[in-house]
Amino acid sequence: MAETEPGPAAVSPDGAPAAAGSTKRVLLRIGRVTIDRRSIAVSSAIVGLLAGIAWAGTGYRYQAYVDEPARLSGSVPKGERELKQLVSRLDRRSRDLTARLKATAPRGVYIVIDQTQNRLYLKKDDETLLDAKCSAGSGMVLKESVGKKRQWVFDTPRGRFGVLSMLRDPAWAKPDWAFVEEGQPIPSNPADRIETGSLGEYGLYFGNGYMIHGTLYERLLGRAVSHGCIRVGRDDLRKVWANARLGTRIFIY
Amino acid sequence: MTNPSACVRTSLAALVAVVAGLSAAACANDEGARPPTAMVERVARLQRLNGLLQRQIELAEGKAFYLVFDPGASDLTLMLSGAELQRYPVIGLQVGEPRVSWFGRRDSRPWQDVVWSHGELDPPREIDRLVVQAPPPQKDAAEPEPPPVPPTPEEMYPVPSRYQVRFDEGRSIEVRPLEADKQAGRLARFGAWWSAKWHDVVAAVFRRDRDGVRLRIVLDPKDAASLYRSLPPAVRLIVIPQRRPTPPAPQRPAGGGR
Repeated sequence: MAETEPGPAAVSPDGAPAAAGSTKRVLLRIGRVTIDRRSIAVSSAIVGLLAGIAWAGTGYRYQAYVDEPARLSGSVPKGERELKQLVSRLDRRSRDLTARLKATAPRGVYIVIDQTQNRLYLKKDDETLLDAKCSAGSGMVLKESVGKKRQWVFDTPRGRFGVLSMLRDPAWAKPDWAFVEEGQPIPSNPADRIETGSLGEYGLYFGNGYMIHGTLYERLLGRAVSHGCIRVGRDDLRKVWANARLGTRIFIY
Repeated sequence: MTNPSACVRTSLAALVAVVAGLSAAACANDEGARPPTAMVERVARLQRLNGLLQRQIELAEGKAFYLVFDPGASDLTLMLSGAELQRYPVIGLQVGEPRVSWFGRRDSRPWQDVVWSHGELDPPREIDRLVVQAPPPQKDAAEPEPPPVPPTPEEMYPVPSRYQVRFDEGRSIEVRPLEADKQAGRLARFGAWWSAKWHDVVAAVFRRDRDGVRLRIVLDPKDAASLYRSLPPAVRLIVIPQRRPTPPAPQRPAGGGR
């Protein structure tokens, strides 16, 4: 339907008076070109459409994964015999490398700890012997209010470790932070630091003061509540103890 | 006297014969010089395989965490020193390349046969650490209050509906758990699509350098959450090409020696 807006500026594009019923409000005239509301509306619609098409075609184009073709590196001999020798050499190397890669995987029993999900996996080759709840470091920060104003971060380290010592009924030589946390003075006599019974039946020490040990707080297993050690429930700890040996690899992520 | 037309005919015939002879010789030489295509392809495949094995060994012998992405087996595996720590089954996989107004802007840098390094989560995983101020020491300190119990991982690390692991040289993995979540409603899916579209537009126009090649993988929501919560910093990644059976080297028929 034609836009009809009678008004003082109603003229036809060629400057002649517009016929009744087809008048347009001219907003701007540049030479012979007049701009009215309709032309603005049409051009806006065209610009909007083009912008929409451009927007739709901007972003990421997703396609199925396809292997890029293997490319030759270096030149290949032209003779068939030499080529066969090259293939044979590459085949041999491929077998060697495959064997070397397999040899990097841990053999026998090893322990994997997912400290975010608080899970401990006892594995033997490709088999999972145990999937247990554990408690890893809380990530909490403890600040000393007096004295040296030290602070400690209770994180469990990530990486590859090995069982360095295996302790039955381990005693805990409480470090400074354990006294600071409880608001107790730090004892000068080392014997006053020793606490028994709080680490469970067994402890597997893997360096820098960290252990896999038992806990008095089994209800908190599955939550990150420890000071960096890995706490495991009594029955699971017995299985770990029964399978682990000195040097057993521990992977923590 | 010689007939001129006969002479021309003879010359032409000789010329044709010479050209034909030369062409035949050239073809024969060319066929003799060109190694069999199947063998050359096999050499290329073996070279690539050995390169990849070598890189995997280097990763396994290093101390850093790394991801092995095997599109053929449809899984992404977090590894350390050759040990498989966690395997995430991949439900869907696509390769994304930026484009602006329908014009592709493919990154020409290789990404399939190389190790991707310094992978970091985007958005990063925020850890709100609890800070506890220790009470001043007292000789006869009363039984201290037990420290607050930190939240579970599910409470501590909210997982975005879509996230990326960004590596050096503009490579990234986009993890989309929502597509695998059958529980998600249409509105949630549309919201996710709308938000993703705008992010993609901005990335394609302004940030192509850091987002040149994108592997979009769809994981089960549980796996996607686990990967987000557990991914170690500065992780590396290698993509293993799909294992196609290597055709055996062509055998010479018996008695067919040269």
